[in-house]
Amino acid sequence: MARWFTPPRLRLSLLFLILLCAVPVFAQESKEVAYRAFPYIGSRLAVRAIAQLHLNFAAFILGVPIFAVIIEIMGWRTRDPKYDWLAHEFVKLTFAAFSTTALLGALLLFLFVGLYPKFWAYMAGIFTPTFWIYAALFFLETFTVYLWYYGWEWLSGPKKWVHVCLGVLSNLFGTAILVVSNSWVTFMVSPGGIDDAGNLVSLWGAINNYAWMPINIHRLIANIVFGGTIAAAYAAFRFLSATSDEERARYDWMGYIGNFVALSAFIVLPFAGYYLGREIYAFNQTMGITMMGGFMSWLWIIQAILIGVLFIGSNYYLWLGMERIPGSERYRKYIPYLIMVIAAGFMVWATPRSLIVTLQEARAMGGTHHPILGFLGVMSAKNTAVNLMILTTFLSFLLYRRANKASLRPWASTGVAAQWAVFALAAAIVTFYGVYGYFVESIVRIGFSVYQVLAVLGAIVVIMAIDIPMFKGAKATGQIRWGTIAPRSQYVLILLAVTFTWLMGLMGFARSGIRQHWHVYGVVRDSSPDAVTPALGYAANVITIVTIVFFALVMFIFWLGSLGDRGKEEAHAHAAPVIAGGSGAS
Amino acid sequence: MKLPVSVKVSAFALIVMGAYTYYANSIPQIQSKPPEELSLEGGNVTPEQLVKAGEGIFKEKGTCEICHRIGQKGTRAPDLAGTGATASKRKPGMGAKAYLIESLLDPAAYLVEGYPAIMPKVDRPPIALNRSELWALTAYLQSLGGSVDVKLDDIPKSAGATAGGGAGTTTEFKMPGDPKAGQAVFMGKGACVACHKVGDVGGPVGPPLTEIAKIQTPEYIMAKILNPASMGTVSGFPPNVMPPTLGQTLTAKEYVDLMAYLLTLKGGAAGAKK
Repeated sequence: MARWFTPPRLRLSLLFLILLCAVPVFAQESKEVAYRAFPYIGSRLAVRAIAQLHLNFAAFILGVPIFAVIIEIMGWRTRDPKYDWLAHEFVKLTFAAFSTTALLGALLLFLFVGLYPKFWAYMAGIFTPTFWIYAALFFLETFTVYLWYYGWEWLSGPKKWVHVCLGVLSNLFGTAILVVSNSWVTFMVSPGGIDDAGNLVSLWGAINNYAWMPINIHRLIANIVFGGTIAAAYAAFRFLSATSDEERARYDWMGYIGNFVALSAFIVLPFAGYYLGREIYAFNQTMGITMMGGFMSWLWIIQAILIGVLFIGSNYYLWLGMERIPGSERYRKYIPYLIMVIAAGFMVWATPRSLIVTLQEARAMGGTHHPILGFLGVMSAKNTAVNLMILTTFLSFLLYRRANKASLRPWASTGVAAQWAVFALAAAIVTFYGVYGYFVESIVRIGFSVYQVLAVLGAIVVIMAIDIPMFKGAKATGQIRWGTIAPRSQYVLILLAVTFTWLMGLMGFARSGIRQHWHVYGVVRDSSPDAVTPALGYAANVITIVTIVFFALVMFIFWLGSLGDRGKEEAHAHAAPVIAGGSGAS
Repeated sequence: MKLPVSVKVSAFALIVMGAYTYYANSIPQIQSKPPEELSLEGGNVTPEQLVKAGEGIFKEKGTCEICHRIGQKGTRAPDLAGTGATASKRKPGMGAKAYLIESLLDPAAYLVEGYPAIMPKVDRPPIALNRSELWALTAYLQSLGGSVDVKLDDIPKSAGATAGGGAGTTTEFKMPGDPKAGQAVFMGKGACVACHKVGDVGGPVGPPLTEIAKIQTPEYIMAKILNPASMGTVSGFPPNVMPPTLGQTLTAKEYVDLMAYLLTLKGGAAGAKK
């Protein structure tokens, strides 16, 4: 028992709880001061940098355990030890990052209380009851994760189900923590549960504001993507540093799983984004329009480029991965067409509609948008492009999945034909509503995106429902040669991790920037010297510096974590399994 | 020489982030600045000045251009070309001026056919126009095909009451000084009363201050006393009349007391007494 009371994470938890208890006191004492300045860099930059770092770490430690427990369940049910090893490896990564996350959270709280006392007093006046829930969840999660990690060997064999339950429970607590803290941040964007003077009327109304549920869903999915990309990047680093074929094979497989998890969650992320956008419009049209067409319009072009890089990178990694699968040659002919669709989709998505341009540029173009290409800049074209890109990425995955398999089912050819028909139908529905959207009013057009999303999601479900039985017990045309993938594929995994982390920073800027000169939109005005919402160049510089710091910290923490394992590997029950030449992970 | 993997991976990550950063810095750099408050109350503003001020509000603080176009059909909101004339035909029995004011303060009261009820009340946060700004904006809308005859008194007194944001930093601003002592400074050493009216008392040279706490932020008033030239001049009043050394002639206590007094001036009888 005693060992549980000594780790740094627990001490940090206690520190955090003490801080949290002190919050209302701070709020009372600071009634007369609205703002204090952080030395040299200013309060806004200090809060921005620490908030982004905290969110990066929090996303990682909340996202990775979700798929770690799924992988553990797979290992438990299939009795394949390599899954259990991988799940333990993933949890080990997050475990090393827990203390840093809590430390950054405490630091962020210090900054709010110290630099923005008036704002914090207002927030504490609304949300104090949720602080206690948050603290309780924090404790529960800490204890559960400790039991989950340290009990890996103790709760193995017949007690494995208890261990799996602990993993599930720690994820439930982690998600609950996310949901509680989301209520604070979304209240600032779309406040609810208050009267015209900003007084609390309903705590539940304040929690359940317009942006709360969409952000809950969006962050939950994005955390899985983020965790997957970071875990895959870690595996890529280990692959590139590997000194034996066995080690290369192990980390090739780990990188593949990490990327698979990231990609699976990534293809549904845009849908969660639509939902969030729709709710922001529902809360306040002005805010929605400012977000999409006002001073932030260029931000979405940068976002489109980043997401384009993620789509192209993910597909490229799958195509490179097919080269280590005997039997995949028959599908390579499709790759040029897949590239064409993704490249075309990328170009459409990155096409602006109307942007703030100079007078000369506007004259040269004949208006605020290009007379021809400008039509590709509207939401109809963009929704169509992204949905077709998602379908194409899913097709890449499907080809990868069956690369070394030949179905033995008598109805296989009918099944494949049905799958192609579903693909074609989904693409037709997406394109139809994309074109039709040009001929209806915006309020109707917004509704079309729901049909497009449902068509794509429906296609994915139906195609997988055919695919799984069709390839169950299929004949293998060869074993996957783990570890033989081209080294450049590992740089693709690093590219995906860096790009997604940068994208998270950009979206964080978008979420806070749409409030403009309000701490709480329309309720608490920002009258500090930092009330100006900075331009994208400045925001990008900050995002890059914070991302560099994040990766430097992650590398340092992973290195620290690996110190404890040195020399233990032989004796450890979770010694790395031999994977080279193995299959079945697809 | 073979580079370590950590160096190669770090260099690659830096190049990727550098590319994103370079692109973000190469596009137009637009900041979003907090809107400035406009105060026209008590001033002798010409209709031309009023319309010009209203046009600025239409394009900036009011954010009207996000949905409305002039001479171009919008998908979200009606074209405002000629609205100064057509406004009189929208609602039976309601003149153009009354209709325009109602459209700003209670947009859902009447909807132009084919357009959804998405317009926010512009005197409420987050747009939060004050009475002066509503006056100027109405004048600008009238000028689009009609004649400008709107007066400040046409704008309801209750309009813009929550313009600063209902909670938090702005409305809770309190000076530690003594308002009574501040009133003495206003009437005596500061000689503010020589140029500014509070209620019926005071000179006509500068804008009346009867409602100054309601229509201006504390930051503006403080800066105006310390450095009048930096805060501009209210339309309709002569520039550079306010003494630039006023802030230096007052002691710290007098300055704080004066501010405390000015922040009590929210219109009505309390401000007009004496």
